[in-house]
Amino acid sequence: MAGAARYLDPAIVARLGTIDLKARTIVEGFLTGLHRSPYKGFSVEFAEYRQYLPGDDLATLDWKVFARSDKHFVKKYEEETNLACHLLIDVSRSMGYGSGEITKLQYASYLTGALAYLMHRQRDSFGLIAFDDSISALLPASARSGHLRMVLLALERLKIGGATNVSKPLHDLAAAVRKRGMVVLVSDLLDEPSSVLDGLKHFRYRGTDVIVFHILDPYELKFPFEQAARFRDMETQEEVMAVPGSVRADYIEKMQSLIAYYKRELGLAGIDYCLLETSQPLELGLMSYLMTRRRVL
Amino acid sequence: MFGINFLSPLFLIGAIAAAIPILLHLFHRKTEVVVDFPTVRLLARAPVQQHRRRRLRELVLLALRVLALVVLALSFARPYFAGASAPESAPLTVIAVDTSMSMTAPGQFDRARQAAARAAASAPSSHAVTLLAFADAASVVVEPTRDRAAIDAALAQLTPGTGGTRYRSALARASEIIGAREASVTIVTDLQQVGWESNDDGGLPEGVDVEVISVGAPAGNVALTSASRQDGRVVAALQNFSNVETRTPVTVIVQGKEIARTEAALAAMGAANVVLNASLPNAGVAEVRIDDARGYQGDNVKEIRLEVAAGSPVAIVVADPTGATGGLYLERALSVAGNGREFDVDVRDGRDVGKWTADEIARMDAIFIVGTRTLDRSGRELLRHYLTGGGRVLVATGPEVDLGTLRDIVGVNLPFADAIVKTPGATMIATDNRHPIFRPFLSPSGALGDVQVQQHRRLMDQRDMTVLARFSGGDPALVEQSVGDGRLLVFTSDLDNAWSRFPLDPAFVPFAVEAARYLTRGASAAGRQEVVKIEESNPAAVTVEEFTNAIERTSRIAIPTTGNVAREAEDRQRWWQIGLVVMLMALAGEALLGRRAT
Repeated sequence: MAGAARYLDPAIVARLGTIDLKARTIVEGFLTGLHRSPYKGFSVEFAEYRQYLPGDDLATLDWKVFARSDKHFVKKYEEETNLACHLLIDVSRSMGYGSGEITKLQYASYLTGALAYLMHRQRDSFGLIAFDDSISALLPASARSGHLRMVLLALERLKIGGATNVSKPLHDLAAAVRKRGMVVLVSDLLDEPSSVLDGLKHFRYRGTDVIVFHILDPYELKFPFEQAARFRDMETQEEVMAVPGSVRADYIEKMQSLIAYYKRELGLAGIDYCLLETSQPLELGLMSYLMTRRRVL
Repeated sequence: MFGINFLSPLFLIGAIAAAIPILLHLFHRKTEVVVDFPTVRLLARAPVQQHRRRRLRELVLLALRVLALVVLALSFARPYFAGASAPESAPLTVIAVDTSMSMTAPGQFDRARQAAARAAASAPSSHAVTLLAFADAASVVVEPTRDRAAIDAALAQLTPGTGGTRYRSALARASEIIGAREASVTIVTDLQQVGWESNDDGGLPEGVDVEVISVGAPAGNVALTSASRQDGRVVAALQNFSNVETRTPVTVIVQGKEIARTEAALAAMGAANVVLNASLPNAGVAEVRIDDARGYQGDNVKEIRLEVAAGSPVAIVVADPTGATGGLYLERALSVAGNGREFDVDVRDGRDVGKWTADEIARMDAIFIVGTRTLDRSGRELLRHYLTGGGRVLVATGPEVDLGTLRDIVGVNLPFADAIVKTPGATMIATDNRHPIFRPFLSPSGALGDVQVQQHRRLMDQRDMTVLARFSGGDPALVEQSVGDGRLLVFTSDLDNAWSRFPLDPAFVPFAVEAARYLTRGASAAGRQEVVKIEESNPAAVTVEEFTNAIERTSRIAIPTTGNVAREAEDRQRWWQIGLVVMLMALAGEALLGRRAT
């Protein structure tokens, strides 16, 4: 991949029409770039032959064709789909925060939609679970045609909920999922870190692969406020009077500690962790997903 | 009791602006910036500013902002303190007490004190009271006050003098004090008829109540109108101001010893010269006395200087007596006074001032300084000691006077502007025509208005300085102030025909002579005898009704208001400058505190 400049800006995506169009734009753009990258070939289903070119992996050389025709051909594959993927999107009140043009929830929706679109293209079965302190929307995993549309429609209709309680829906879902598959959690993880970890480890215990997209706003990371203000927690309504200049360094240190904690603990648990700022291109999330999927398969 | 007054009270309306930060503060409290933020729990454990401390800081900020606005409004309103005086708008009772020589009859002034005290006590409680003493001129003894005890105390100290009676001067002064406010005037006097005969102006505003209290006049009076030494004899002139023939003893006393005595017989309303053969010494003072127990005591004694009369020693300090500006005009003007005998003028080169002995300079009744360039250090110190030790000095700040040197001489910092003001054709206007220096200019023929000055130095008004005359542009022309025990007059232009043609004007000689007389008055070591005007000895009186009818009534608009007095007081005090400094300090504090708060 070259620079991030050719990625789609989330703010530009936000101006596109339906989430269907948004997801398609993200994924097609992403795949266009991917075809020129060394990441192609995730598929396991035969697609076509191509004449061998120097540099191709010898493992892909079809020796039978060589025996018949005395010519070197390599096999191209489409990815085989039997992966059940659960897209978990956090709709708690804190996800409604956005310092720029889009909120964390919008960003999460676009990302989830793009992932669904990508899964649909790869014929994976996928489902959608929206939650705050409980599950507010649930679409079971399916690979049927028309399912993508239902998922995208559900994403478009998501509404901000209440307080975050990641662990409870995770435990509920982990208990419900019987087939080994993959769970994608898109959340700001503003819950007790130990609870979040417990919930995610529950999946790992059941052999499910997990990828966590930690969505944060740039203001949450850098706290660039200037004026003294009363900061009100979006979920608990707790208010704290603060002079940003005085508390900024301490805040950033605490936030980085939290991120480092998740990164370390999730890594130890075999869970992929991807921190995404809402100002970053969505393709970064897709790339993380594909990397995880490749490992799973 | 101190009262704060304002020259431009309408500006106080601007103080309403002080409500703006208060409203903003209250408004701000309701709309305090609230930021919804997801990760407040990370802030909660951060060292945030304590709410109470912040509140305190906000209140201090608010107070500083309000203070700045209020002080700004106050400064624009030009505040000034009228000292112990009552507010300028308070109703006023003016008590004018006659202190002329004609109040010296036995028991007469005690009755005047009692009458004045009763008037003060009976003044309405809402009224401020002021006490005026008048004779040839009127002076304020107690500024308008509600403190009746202060009036009583001042009355106890009041004594009659040797001056004549001028009712109109007293009325004019009372009018100035009254201004436009509600007032009543109580005049305590002997109703002497001669008090209305002087050629001056003055009346009371319409609507001002007048009460005239007569303390009575003696039935008759014998006056010793003059006494002189003629060929070894003493000649005393006596006048009988009564309708009956009178006999009175006349004595000559030298050093406490009676050396001659006779008795004079005076016809009704008659006059006589009495010759006493007395062997008088050639030095000291001989006192001629008559015994008139019933009449005025102030005209019963005359003194005769026994040594050859000499003029008052006056020095003129110049930068260079041979130069074009050598004090020539001043010397010539003083030399003609009193047929050339009133002043003994010594024109002194600045370089020679230091050669004066302490006794020589102490002998000077007054010193005129028209040039300082050649004064050395010892000369400056000698002049400063002379002034602060009770000497009288007039300085003309013409081109030959260096301001730095002048500061050394007078020992105080006279607030002169650096630049010389060029105002071709500026004329001089007396602020008080009744001041002794300007008496000769009361008649139109002696008007000061003809004097034109081309250049002068700008002297800022200050509190302890009295402006006696101004130039037409408003700058002080002649000011007076006390320095130590001495008295300093400063003429802000030139008296040597360099910056003005004043010395060539007919007004110059009377101005110079009267200034010299004013400075040398009572300064002679031998003591200059106060002259009692002969008409003051006449006890003829008018009735209360005649007196009241003689008071001219003036329109209130035509009255010289106290506005000028107030403006002068405000100019001297300059509280507005302090106000602006306070405002700037408040704003600086607000900026510092505000910066820390954000």
